[in-house]
Amino acid sequence: MYDKTIPFDAAIRWIKKETRDTTTYAIKIINREIQRLYAFKPGQFNMLYLPGIGEAPISISSAPIDNEIMHTIRIAGDVTTHISRLNTGDVIGVRGPFGSSWPLEEIEDRDLMIIAGGVGIAPLRSVIRHLLVGKRRKKSSIQYQTGKKIILYGAKTPKDMIFRDEFPRYMDAFEVFLTVDKADPEEYWRGEVGLITGLLNKVSFNPLNTVVFMCGPEVMMQSMVRELMLRGVPGEKIFISMERNMNCGMGICGHCMFGPKFVCKDGPVFRFTDIEGFLGIKEI
Amino acid sequence: MIRVKIKKEQLKLIFNRLKTSHKIIGPKINNDVIVLTEIADFYDIPFGYREQQGKGTYRLTKGSSQFFSFSVGPDSFKRFVNPPAREIFAFKKSKKRISIMSSNKSSAMSNEKSDSSQLAMVRVVQHSSSLPFLFVGMRACDIAALRLLDKVFLEGHVKDTFYDSIRRSSLIIGVNCLYPGDNCFCSSINTGPEIKDGFDMAITELDKSFLLEIGTPSVREMIDELPVENASNEDIAEKDSLIANCKKNMKKTIDISELPWLIYKSLEHPRWTDIANRCLACGNCTQVCPTCFCNSSYDYLQLSGISKKIPELSGTRIRSWDSCFSTNFARVHGGNFRPSRRARYRQWMSHKLSYWIEQFGSLGCVGCGRCITWCPVGIDITQELEVLKK
Ligand SMILES: Cc1cc2nc3c(=O)[nH]c(=O)nc-3n(C[C@H](O)[C@H](O)[C@H](O)COP(=O)(O)OP(=O)(O)OC[C@H]3O[C@@H](n4cnc5c(N)ncnc54)[C@H](O)[C@@H]3O)c2cc1C
Ligand code: SF4
Ligand code: SF4
Ligand code: FES
Repeated sequence: MYDKTIPFDAAIRWIKKETRDTTTYAIKIINREIQRLYAFKPGQFNMLYLPGIGEAPISISSAPIDNEIMHTIRIAGDVTTHISRLNTGDVIGVRGPFGSSWPLEEIEDRDLMIIAGGVGIAPLRSVIRHLLVGKRRKKSSIQYQTGKKIILYGAKTPKDMIFRDEFPRYMDAFEVFLTVDKADPEEYWRGEVGLITGLLNKVSFNPLNTVVFMCGPEVMMQSMVRELMLRGVPGEKIFISMERNMNCGMGICGHCMFGPKFVCKDGPVFRFTDIEGFLGIKEI
Repeated sequence: MIRVKIKKEQLKLIFNRLKTSHKIIGPKINNDVIVLTEIADFYDIPFGYREQQGKGTYRLTKGSSQFFSFSVGPDSFKRFVNPPAREIFAFKKSKKRISIMSSNKSSAMSNEKSDSSQLAMVRVVQHSSSLPFLFVGMRACDIAALRLLDKVFLEGHVKDTFYDSIRRSSLIIGVNCLYPGDNCFCSSINTGPEIKDGFDMAITELDKSFLLEIGTPSVREMIDELPVENASNEDIAEKDSLIANCKKNMKKTIDISELPWLIYKSLEHPRWTDIANRCLACGNCTQVCPTCFCNSSYDYLQLSGISKKIPELSGTRIRSWDSCFSTNFARVHGGNFRPSRRARYRQWMSHKLSYWIEQFGSLGCVGCGRCITWCPVGIDITQELEVLKK
């Protein structure tokens, strides 16, 4: 295995602008040996490194079955701003993959509901593509194809909606429900307007047979979990991806601590019931 | 266990024997405080000193006839296995290439069989030529703390190869505490005062001699060459009674029977606010604590100009101690998860006394009392825990 404390080089293959502040990058690991050893699962993340600037944890937004490793990045600060200035062919440092993944074994013979807010769709796109591409290529993920599959996605405005052009394709395998906080007068929008929790009234699902994968702002996830449980979804079947400050990515720097959990290695994907005692506590 | 005894003066023979092959790290007086530093020989050990420690106070006093009558100072051995700041790698960056020069031994292997034409990262292995450490005067709590750091740096998801190489090459000469410091409470959490394992040699200072217990073969061979006598039953009885006495004289305790649940159910206790009104968030407690391991990495830059020969940018990536009391420790885009001092003290104490148990299977506190002595406002973890019960 390679050393995950030392970044390796990856070259940017192509760049696709998603929204005004969010962009998808496809990267290729340059060292062939590392390329061969590198394997990730949907929900995991990489630490992206720009020498002299720093590192940022970024989810992998492609699926293991894809030919490329993709990252979908919103400009937030130093590292992400500098990434936004890079061009095709430029080299960045990468450490990873790190963290836990979406428990795909849980959705065998069950229905899946994917709930995402904002850039929180990035780690879930990995699952979506895993199921979608897998279905198309008749690869192993076919075993998860039996149940009903729903996507609920909320963004601030239609212009902030990431992967908007991809949703029509997602409809091959998923029922897709989109909402925005505020519709834009200049944009044609035929989805819902309002909070993502409102979408739950539009979907029909069997709460006792549904597994939920969710990623988005913490307050959104908290109110969503409440709504889901009111409708009878068991807490054991809700999985959420958390965000904390990260520095090492592997449980030795202490930055990402959330109660007794290290978000970097025990998470970012947690079973709701494993962390529920800490979720409501301010400044934990 | 092999037990021998040696005349007190003759301990220097062991020092002399090891000083050519090891860098000796031990206690020494510096600015009226006992620190841990490289010591030249046996006579650097502060003979005849005791100290008074209180909440936020430390005074050295002379007046004992023993070599090891002092207890722990602000330094802990973590600074040698996990230095306050160290280079993780050096880098050079040009337009289409990042070159990493790793100081980490294991990282070289990943490139061994790779296709060099595809190689954009060059890794240079740097071997450190300095001698391995000999840690002298480690107390039971310090050895326990080192074993906790092992869990973090060696038994987690990744092995910290730097830590590992220092840890494996170091020798440990422990000293059994016979005079507890005023803030010590190791006996209530079973980390001391007696050293039970994890040492190469453990010393007990008897009235007339040193009792040496030999833990590993590396030291055993050496003992055969020295003028030692076998320890008698009386010597061992003397040791046992001295240690029993030390336990009896320990002033502080913590009650671990309700941990970690006590903390879990006290996360909203009003006491945290009371502590926050005193705590300066200075982070002293985390720096002196032998088990606190939190750190941050950042780039240290050298601007090397723009010429064809010289890369655009070069520097080193440094990992240094950080503290959960720092303002930016839990900051993310759009906010900070722990802006208040209340939350930061709670994080520290909850980690020490409860989260650790879930994370690594034991308390994160070894009862050395350093955080009490070196807290400028005298916050006392043992007392605060008591209050949380109410
Ligand atoms: C597991 C995980 C997966 C993520 N996946 C994605 C993704 O797919 N796409 C995406 O756009 N964003 C993602 N993020 C968020 C992203 O990591 C932050 O937006 C990013 O760190 C900002 O980095 P920056 O250097 O640009 O900002 P900075 O200049 O570091 O900082 C902006 C602010 O963020 C703070 N900050 C420092 N470190 C972190 C940190 N580790 N996380 C968050 N804030 C930090 C800074 O203190 C500052 O206040 C993810 C975060 C986590 C923890
Ligand atoms: S918390 Fe205080 S008493 Fe416990 S090990 Fe750390 S410094 Fe020593
Ligand atoms: S408890 Fe004391 S030593 Fe620790 S941060 Fe607060 S004031 Fe500083
Ligand atoms: S990011 Fe360092 S411990 Fe989690």
